[in-house]
Amino acid sequence: MPAYPALDTTALSRRRLLQLIGLGAGTLTLAACVPEAGPAAPQAAGTAAAGAKTDFSFASWSLTEETAAPAIRELLGQYADANDVEVREVSYPYNEYISQLTLQVKGGQVTGAVHVDVAWLGSLAALGKLQDLGPLAQGADYTQAGLTASQFDGVQYGLPWNIGAIGLIANSGLLEQAGIGDAPATVDEFEAALKDLKKLGGGVVPYAASTKAAQLKDVLIWMETFGSPLLDGGKVTIGDDASVEAVTWYKSLYDQGLIAADVDRFDARSLFAQGRAAIYDDAIVGRDAVVSESPDKKLADKLTAWSRPVLAAGDTPRALVWGGALAVVQGEGAETAADFARWMTSDVEVAKQYFAARGLPPATESALALPEVADDAFGAQFAERITATATTNPFWVYPQYAQIETVIAEQVQAVLVGSAEPKAAMEKAGAAAQKLVD
Amino acid sequence: MSALTPTRTPVPRPQATPDSPAPVRKARRGALRSERRGVRIAAWAAVVVCGGFALLPVYWLLATALTPREQVFAYPPRLFPAAPTLDAFAALAGNEQLFVYLRNSLLVSVLTAVLSVLVSAYMGYSFSKFRYRGRRSLMYFVLASQMFPQALLLVTLYSLFSAYGLLNTYTALVLSFTTFTLPLCVWMLKGFFDTIPDELIEAARVDGASRLRIIHAIVLPLSAPGLIAAGLFAFVRGWNDFIFALTLAGPEKQTLPPGLVNTFVGEASTAWPELMAASLVVSLPVAIAFIALQKYLVGGLTAGAVKG
Repeated sequence: MPAYPALDTTALSRRRLLQLIGLGAGTLTLAACVPEAGPAAPQAAGTAAAGAKTDFSFASWSLTEETAAPAIRELLGQYADANDVEVREVSYPYNEYISQLTLQVKGGQVTGAVHVDVAWLGSLAALGKLQDLGPLAQGADYTQAGLTASQFDGVQYGLPWNIGAIGLIANSGLLEQAGIGDAPATVDEFEAALKDLKKLGGGVVPYAASTKAAQLKDVLIWMETFGSPLLDGGKVTIGDDASVEAVTWYKSLYDQGLIAADVDRFDARSLFAQGRAAIYDDAIVGRDAVVSESPDKKLADKLTAWSRPVLAAGDTPRALVWGGALAVVQGEGAETAADFARWMTSDVEVAKQYFAARGLPPATESALALPEVADDAFGAQFAERITATATTNPFWVYPQYAQIETVIAEQVQAVLVGSAEPKAAMEKAGAAAQKLVD
Repeated sequence: MSALTPTRTPVPRPQATPDSPAPVRKARRGALRSERRGVRIAAWAAVVVCGGFALLPVYWLLATALTPREQVFAYPPRLFPAAPTLDAFAALAGNEQLFVYLRNSLLVSVLTAVLSVLVSAYMGYSFSKFRYRGRRSLMYFVLASQMFPQALLLVTLYSLFSAYGLLNTYTALVLSFTTFTLPLCVWMLKGFFDTIPDELIEAARVDGASRLRIIHAIVLPLSAPGLIAAGLFAFVRGWNDFIFALTLAGPEKQTLPPGLVNTFVGEASTAWPELMAASLVVSLPVAIAFIALQKYLVGGLTAGAVKG
């Protein structure tokens, strides 16, 4: 019996109810099946003078960042005024940028020029909506490293804007206190230096290496240092002796307190800025962050770039390519957007202005030769010691590279917390990554 | 004394037994008093701990907003800023975009609350006071929609709104937020309507009131606390949402959560004092409104929880 007597009865048969549910499910299915363009061969961008200039969109995560936005807006304004066009701004926070951009490009909401991390080019190119900017790249003096980093599957989907690498940055003040002179050349010397730094006490973390799962992909560069290629002809090599040795060594640093628990890139920057970490991994874009957050007004002068130590003397130091490129999404305003991308990435005056605002390494030979750029001591040191030998992550060619990195990171974390043995964990990681690659 | 004044039943005072000597009685009273004091202290300690647990994040937000950026991560952490500054608040004054985000947030949250209450009031009334075949199945079907992962619905809703040209509109935000608030609002209001005696509704019918009049003139006014509770719940849901607002709203209709992240969280660093100051400033009006209406929220949420 119901708690209260029924007042009325409205006929709603079970059949009718099922019809309504079916209708709802049908609507959802239809919505999920909204037509969208599948992958297609990339169209080649025309030359800048091919037609009249039109309005276009420019998407970048930097458009709302306080250090970058004014400089970028100034340049957008210059291009808009010179060509009598309007540039519509699109921006998402960096951590949400690639997922949002993918959705918006797929849905046709974003066309025109888009700022991309070089690691994302494969994922975006898989949507089949990026233009081949190969013809535009010809004639500009982009560095070969920049051009290579902005390609996917042999197609020039991006024009390199700021190309550098992720490497080891150290605080020379702390190194001096620990009696460390030259940068250690080998992994053994590096570990010895970390032990010397630990003796400083005061809560100083010798090496603020990534230990949070979200950033543990950093361990891949150490696996390469130990000799694992990560990927060999479509076969994932994680689980081989070199990768196991690398993770075993990483775990030993953890157990000795030479690296700290629960650290990601943001934490590492904060520790380094506060003088509580002596060494950490970063790209040159992190320089402004650590300097501005530091109570040590002389930290900028204490920054020093280290080549990553090698396993045996004579090996080539490893570093991971980092950088931004401009790609062009087919659709409204794409031709003018391509012209804008070329101007923004290769014009020397633009490079001069942008470098003055952000200190990021440009990607053309002529811009790199500018006195302002050449006189940046730390930037030059970073380029010479780190960027010079940087390579891309072999998994970036797969659109699902982020998932691959995640399954590897999860197993490395299991090793760090002691719930798995390095060999078993790396074999498991390799198998999981292989499934994603296949 | 008025007849309506409740009468108090006299509580018998503990009587000392004739054979209890005065010092013993005194000692017992003292022990009882000290036991009561102990209970009171424990209760207050629990309140202070719970209060601290709830308020410490708010305090930390304020302290960070007053801390110079280079000292935000100072080690060891300081409970009170060493050199408090209002720089972060001053920086907000010149940022007109924050007020655009605030306006957008208020608009979509209010509209979400209104639409949720409107629809769920009729649905809840139907579930509570009518008996028809499939009613129970329909009720659980409504609740089942809560079980879909939001990320899954996001992609589906994005495609749907894209197909109908609703992306980058307030409509898309309000409809998507309402999708998530309706199930709980419906169940909340159903519980509230269950507590309204059917005899009252029968009496109105006997007096010749139509069904609509009964709902609008009798049931809804009696259910004001429940309606306010449902509205507040829907408002908060709309106010706090990040991912739907980021994806469906576009740059001009963006609300506060994505707007603040977009403004203060960068690729390499986060402007913590400014972010905390902005969060504090934009939260104040809502917090005040919430405090003013909290008794309705508690009343509305607990109504129907106990039948009797």
